Amino acid sequence: MLVRRRVAITGLGLVTPLGNSTATTWRALMAGRSGIAPIRGFDAGGYPVRIAAEVKDFEPRTQGAHHKLLKYAVRHAAFALSAAAEAIDDAGVGPCAETANRWGCVAGSGMMGVAFDELAQFQRRFASGGKLAAHALFDPATPAPDPIAYARNQANAGLALLVQRFGIRGYASSVHTACASGGQAIGQAMRLIRRGGADFVLAGGFDSMINPVGLAGFCMLGALSTDNDMPARASRPFDRSRNGFVLGEGAGFLVLEEWQAARRRGARIYAELAGDGNSLSSYRITDSHPSGDGPIQAMRWALADAGARPSEVGYINAHGTSTLMNDRSECAAVRSVFGPHAARVKVSSTKSLMGHLVSGAGAVEAAVCALAIHHSQLPVSANLDQPDPQCDLNFVREPAASCRVGIAMSNSFGFGGSNSCLIFRNPEDAAG
Amino acid sequence: MPASISKDDIQTVYPRVAKAIAEALARDPAEVRVTSRLFADLEAESIDLLDIVFRLEREFNIQIPRGRIIEDARGDLPEDEFERNGVLTAPGLARLREYMSEVPAENFRAQMNLADVPALFTVETMCKIVIRAMRDGSA
Repeated sequence: MLVRRRVAITGLGLVTPLGNSTATTWRALMAGRSGIAPIRGFDAGGYPVRIAAEVKDFEPRTQGAHHKLLKYAVRHAAFALSAAAEAIDDAGVGPCAETANRWGCVAGSGMMGVAFDELAQFQRRFASGGKLAAHALFDPATPAPDPIAYARNQANAGLALLVQRFGIRGYASSVHTACASGGQAIGQAMRLIRRGGADFVLAGGFDSMINPVGLAGFCMLGALSTDNDMPARASRPFDRSRNGFVLGEGAGFLVLEEWQAARRRGARIYAELAGDGNSLSSYRITDSHPSGDGPIQAMRWALADAGARPSEVGYINAHGTSTLMNDRSECAAVRSVFGPHAARVKVSSTKSLMGHLVSGAGAVEAAVCALAIHHSQLPVSANLDQPDPQCDLNFVREPAASCRVGIAMSNSFGFGGSNSCLIFRNPEDAAG
Repeated sequence: MPASISKDDIQTVYPRVAKAIAEALARDPAEVRVTSRLFADLEAESIDLLDIVFRLEREFNIQIPRGRIIEDARGDLPEDEFERNGVLTAPGLARLREYMSEVPAENFRAQMNLADVPALFTVETMCKIVIRAMRDGSA
């Protein structure tokens, strides 16, 4: 009988608004410390929203020859390089001459590609009349614009840098499904290992939209909390008074490894990545279906893929954006999938502390689930003072001393209707 | 043929050229020497050359037209006597070797592709490009 290849999570790396490593991020989550503050990266005066969850005091983790890659890295690609380096260090295994062809890289990335400053500069110099003056751009007498900017702003630039930095030679793919990207990337990576296309995958997501255009876009959509005077309380998923999400930025990477091989080399396994479910709501561009249609299927398929029953799930890291619509729709979906167990399964949204990392969110939250299993501790859903009556789940409102998790679930839903659900199993419960 | 370039001329621009190259290639400035080959010694790739030219143009407020070295080296030699189908002829190679006198003679190969010429560039080559562009600018 053909035995299905299984997938171990053996390395984690994070750059988040809460800290520039896995350990600092986890400590801040456990302490319930918020990463949300007034925007420092640019002057947000004049915007209705002037707060965000920015990555702070970031120093890229690169040395020697790899340092040149930073020249080709926009802000979020630099986050990705650092988080990925930490994940590979943490796993204690990386591509080498014998294994490079068996390594893959799948990443959810960049909801927005081009850095605003570069666009603005280009516009000022070559399109000030509203139309691109190609003759001026290519006139030998005109100083040329930065030729590297073009390379830096390609949609797959971050992926290309990751592959080059670590010498990955097997397979690479980018996922661009907005806020579902990070979760789907990890699910795709899991399937790649299962079907034998790779033995190791560097999987994750990275994004930064905390720039003039990204912020303006979400402001115009009315999707962001305008609680500029109380940044730490602005993101309050499932609370009756919630009024939008808080934009975050960062990167999360996981090293995924074929289970038996990981066991043979004595790797520390945080969790088994046991299930992946994807669905499409095909409903509206930004609205989620009030009934939870879409997320319901993603959760059911992820559970079925993992061979797990809803009653076995101990923790859900919710998509929980803190928008009126998402949180209600997600709770309706959880009730529909979990039935009576919905009252028992613990739920939290870590976006309450670190904001919404957009394409990076699903990957960072996957790492959070792996850590919750590993440390037997659950992150709180902060700022949940008065739950919305339509969000009547069993939220983690206070830190608990210890809580063993058998199975954890992570949800990520994106504009455009993509829904991703991942299932993680405690390695003690994973036979073999 | 353009006016000659002396060692002193090179030394005048060298520190700023070396700094721009070190920054573009993320190298320790101490690793960059006047004789360093951009590709073989400093691990440049083709896109880095564009970046180096861009940085030098800004640093010295000059214009460095693409393909300038080849055009200058060819001088009054007709194009089809200089290269055929992208391959340097013997007279073409001789012209180039003379023009890029800073490059050790053994690095030029017979039947070289024009596209491989940038692989010969040294830090001194870039200094000479800058000096010629500055002279063009003030001419």
